[in-house]
Amino acid sequence: MIRNRKPGLRVAVMIAVLALVAAACSPSDGTDTTEAAGDPTTTAGAAATTTEAPGTTVPAATTTEAPMAVCDGTIGSIIPITGPVAFIGEVQRNWSQYAVDVYNEEHGTAYEFVEGDNMFDVAQSSVLAAQIIDDGSIMALVGPAGSDQVDAAGAAFEQGDPTLTYISPSSTRVGITAKYAGLFRTVPTDDDQGPTSADFMIESGATKVFIIDDQSSYSTGLADIAAAALEAGGVEVTRESVAQDVTDFSALVGTIADDTDWVYLPWQVAANGQLLGNQLVEQGKEIPIFGSDGMDSGDFTIAGSVIAAFAPDISSVEESADLLEGFLAEYPETNTFGPPVFVAVTVIAEAYSRVCQSDGEITRAAVLAEVQATDQSSSILGQPIAFSADGDLIGGTFFFFEIQEDGTKVQLP
Amino acid sequence: MARIGVDEWVEQSDERSEDYDGLIGPVRRILDNMAPGLKLAIGAGLVALLPLFLQQGQVRIGVSILILAMLALGLNIVVGWAGLLDLGYVAFAGFGAYFYAAVASDQIPAHWPTALVLPVIVFLSGALGVLLSLASRRLAGDYLAILTLFFGLIFLELVRNFSRLPFVSEDFDPTGGPNGIPGVEPWSFFGFEINTFNRHYYLLLALLVLLMVGLHNLDKSRTGRAWRATRDDPLAAGHMTTPVNKVRLLAVAAGAAIAGFTGAAFAAVQVGVFPTNFALVFLITIYAAVILGGSGSIPGVVLGALVIGYLPELLRNPATASWLFYLGVSVALVARMRPWSRLAGVVGGLIAFGFGVRWLVKAIWIDVSSGEAAEGFLSGILDGWILILGDHRDIITNIAFVVAIGGALLAVLSTGWRQVFVLIPTLYLGILVWENRLVFEPSLTRQLLFGAMLVVMMAVRPQGLLGKKRVEIT
Amino acid sequence: MEFFLRQTINGLTLGSVYALLAIGYSMVYGILKLLNFAHGEVYMFGAFAGYGMLVMLGGPASPIVPVWLLIPLMFLAAIVVSIVVGVTMERFAYRPLRNSPRIAPLISAIGVSFFLQATALFLFSAGFRSYDAPDLIDISTGIAIGPVDVWLVRVLVIVVASTLMVLLTLWVNKSRTGKAVRAVSFDREAAEMMGIDVDRVVVVTFLIGSALAGVGGVMAGLVFGRIFSFMGFTAGLKAFTAAVVGGIGSIPGAMLGGLLIGMAESYTTAYISSTFQNLIVFSLLIIVLLVKPTGLLGKPELVKV
Repeated sequence: MIRNRKPGLRVAVMIAVLALVAAACSPSDGTDTTEAAGDPTTTAGAAATTTEAPGTTVPAATTTEAPMAVCDGTIGSIIPITGPVAFIGEVQRNWSQYAVDVYNEEHGTAYEFVEGDNMFDVAQSSVLAAQIIDDGSIMALVGPAGSDQVDAAGAAFEQGDPTLTYISPSSTRVGITAKYAGLFRTVPTDDDQGPTSADFMIESGATKVFIIDDQSSYSTGLADIAAAALEAGGVEVTRESVAQDVTDFSALVGTIADDTDWVYLPWQVAANGQLLGNQLVEQGKEIPIFGSDGMDSGDFTIAGSVIAAFAPDISSVEESADLLEGFLAEYPETNTFGPPVFVAVTVIAEAYSRVCQSDGEITRAAVLAEVQATDQSSSILGQPIAFSADGDLIGGTFFFFEIQEDGTKVQLP
Repeated sequence: MARIGVDEWVEQSDERSEDYDGLIGPVRRILDNMAPGLKLAIGAGLVALLPLFLQQGQVRIGVSILILAMLALGLNIVVGWAGLLDLGYVAFAGFGAYFYAAVASDQIPAHWPTALVLPVIVFLSGALGVLLSLASRRLAGDYLAILTLFFGLIFLELVRNFSRLPFVSEDFDPTGGPNGIPGVEPWSFFGFEINTFNRHYYLLLALLVLLMVGLHNLDKSRTGRAWRATRDDPLAAGHMTTPVNKVRLLAVAAGAAIAGFTGAAFAAVQVGVFPTNFALVFLITIYAAVILGGSGSIPGVVLGALVIGYLPELLRNPATASWLFYLGVSVALVARMRPWSRLAGVVGGLIAFGFGVRWLVKAIWIDVSSGEAAEGFLSGILDGWILILGDHRDIITNIAFVVAIGGALLAVLSTGWRQVFVLIPTLYLGILVWENRLVFEPSLTRQLLFGAMLVVMMAVRPQGLLGKKRVEIT
Repeated sequence: MEFFLRQTINGLTLGSVYALLAIGYSMVYGILKLLNFAHGEVYMFGAFAGYGMLVMLGGPASPIVPVWLLIPLMFLAAIVVSIVVGVTMERFAYRPLRNSPRIAPLISAIGVSFFLQATALFLFSAGFRSYDAPDLIDISTGIAIGPVDVWLVRVLVIVVASTLMVLLTLWVNKSRTGKAVRAVSFDREAAEMMGIDVDRVVVVTFLIGSALAGVGGVMAGLVFGRIFSFMGFTAGLKAFTAAVVGGIGSIPGAMLGGLLIGMAESYTTAYISSTFQNLIVFSLLIIVLLVKPTGLLGKPELVKV
């Protein structure tokens, strides 16, 4: 029986391959894959390609006297919108979009925000950075979120276009701003978190502290700094380390001496901290936990613990209450990662406007200079915004919260 | 359909003549009769012209694909030719990457020129492969898989915690711990630095071509035949004086050497190396490339790498992702449904079903709103047909997803018109889930796709796109 | 002494969970010579099913049924879901490959594992859920073993796991289907020729293995608090180590291996260092593989020509 077997399959496969090749050849009308079509649920009706309000001069709500020139400008991003830390990336993306919308409304501009999803992956950050360099409409961007991603993207930027500005809203590792010319950040660094956390513990009268890091780059860096600060303050420090994927901490808890004053957990996974806390209680050890900003999430609710956060609870900052309300009206939820993003995007938008005013068009080098010269007297974080020569946030500091019996946080002075 | 006593080649003569029927038959005959060297030259030439038309960001993607292709070729030696399941393969690449990074940066006091590092890496990776292979000499295939898997995991643990090992001084940190080694110097040969994407692209392309030529010759040589023999029936091969263990050793070592070398390239391109680079996901990606393209076939594997490497970029943009999705579904239907009337039934029924559901929902529920379909060439058509959910989106898509999977499995089992009836709601739910959620979550879609692809390929077409069908003699 | 005792109990708890999972691996390998990489995902779905039942019945803080009813219900939900996942996996991913080269079902298993993880991510997203067992059964309730107070939940885990293992051993050795399972593990073709319905036996094996994994998932949730989409991967890996160390294909080996690995993890963290916990456990596996590849209680595989 000679039958022509599965011609359909062959035809289909040929078509698929041809089509794939066609798809591969198609994109370049200047847009490339970073210009995502945008989330259809947002209200912005503008199409993904940059459209423009023709030079209508809109009286700015704030300071300018003469009618403002209006320029095109796109703000890019490298944030982990999907992937293992999507709950952080989603919030960062929503706040970015919100910041752009608020700014545009207030100042009559029409800047665009473009999503760039690196899925919290280092290799993808590098590729995404290369694509952003190509995209001529992006003059500055927000991100990356994690310190090792900053390294990867930073290397690409240094090589490809050192005049590009990128503001990280959540990377706290010490030293990266000094390495990369275009990097800024709107959060304080571990250089601040480590010593201030240590001071807190020392002031509470601690003499023995048990530090456990979770073998991530964030954690070990912070643990090292905190340990050094504690030891300088005369506290006895025991260091241990545990991988993030360990199932059970009971054995480790068993090794913690009963007379330890604090267990310091600079961890990224708050739920692990919760388990450790439960197991401390289970083994009869009444030791409070001090968590870093990574532990600031709904998963960690051990009463009596203290956690650090790089932004104050903005619901307590008066000027920010309106902004917060407006945000929550449009988007489902927020967390501490949000406000620094708002600050970053607003800084960029401001820089765009200033460059537009003075030069008539926006260029990357000009934006870099303007961002460096940022001098905002107030912000959603309740503090003024200015950057050091390296790009760190001047005056950024960490705030401490104590967790109450019912799980809520109370900010400590 | 193996008949007893008939030679395999004679058996397949019918198939072979069929291959040249139809529209594309003559094209295939030309392709098959062309010397492989000529095909390679034409292919390489076309690829080499690409950077002239592409932007730097896309060239960067091309570089990633070239790296994936080289890694896949190395894995092909181990899995496709020698039939050994090596689940720790990515650790060899990691070794090469870290070694290069360590000596090409300020991480440790040593600083070696590229021309010296690369051969050392090739040699050391190969040696590592030999060691691993020696350790597993007595173990059967499954145990080798286990051993290599754990070797890969141990590598990751070591790389993250090396400087904390009790017998290593804290100052000596060749791996950079969890921070990795950022800021690696590019490859440079006698002053010529490979520091732009174009240069990386051309160098890697040249290396890939060389590798393909070398492997092709290896495949045709005694060693290649020995590998195939040990893969198909190690006992018989052993009795025919093939040194089975040595041959396997050679395969693992060769694969490891290629992986190490490519790892060094990876580190140079990314200008840094980080522990998360070599997690299991990367291994699965390489495997997907090999399996899809056809394990055992050199052009197949490269094709697989091209598809798998480019897929994430396609999925990133909702327009191209949607296009890919609908194309995939259509191809699957067209390839499998006979006669055409049934296919027409499915499509027609689907359209009707969609309108029906939409009308029903609008008539009964008010809170499930409809909006716009994601952008894409079909979006205009789809807007009026598909239901875009507002509230309760997550719960509805969750349920729809599970039901769609169940329906798809059921459809595989049923035949005839029952299949049509099962397929229609399944397809509808699938499209619903796609348009409402999956199209915006490329990393999830990619993972689902890879997993499903591995399973489906094994069940339907284990030899991949360009591989040759294999019969295991047990 | 108290320290040692506590660590031993910790090890036993962890080991019980691993043992339940390891049995599933061993049974499937014995029958099909297949390493089911996706077994960890069955465990994970079981844990989520238990969580779903918990939430449906009011949540850990205020359940609408008494605790002694709630926990068996959670187990039941987990068992049902795990069985569905496991049996479906077998039917569609492994049965078509029954006669393929051995590498094919292995790759298929990797694909299933990846797919199921992605499904879990889709359904449950990447965050963590917590069983909040301390709300359910207060941490201070427990029994005293010597100088150490052991939380009731831990006792529950160890007791349930041991009971299940005893029951399973009895079943395998005494019942007809158990005998069939043993026969098929020994020689599939011969068993088929003797009239045993191999397909049915395979389904039963997967059923039992998956049910045990589901129970293990709920227990893990109760004792270790948090469940998340990737939990199947690490726990699966450790349980897999346990199965291989104990002798893959041997059910008592899996139980022994599970307990051993659990204790090893515990003692390593306690007496050596927690940093290298994973490293040492994995190295243990490598050493066992090199010294005695068939595991502690395993039998060497006979290769027929």
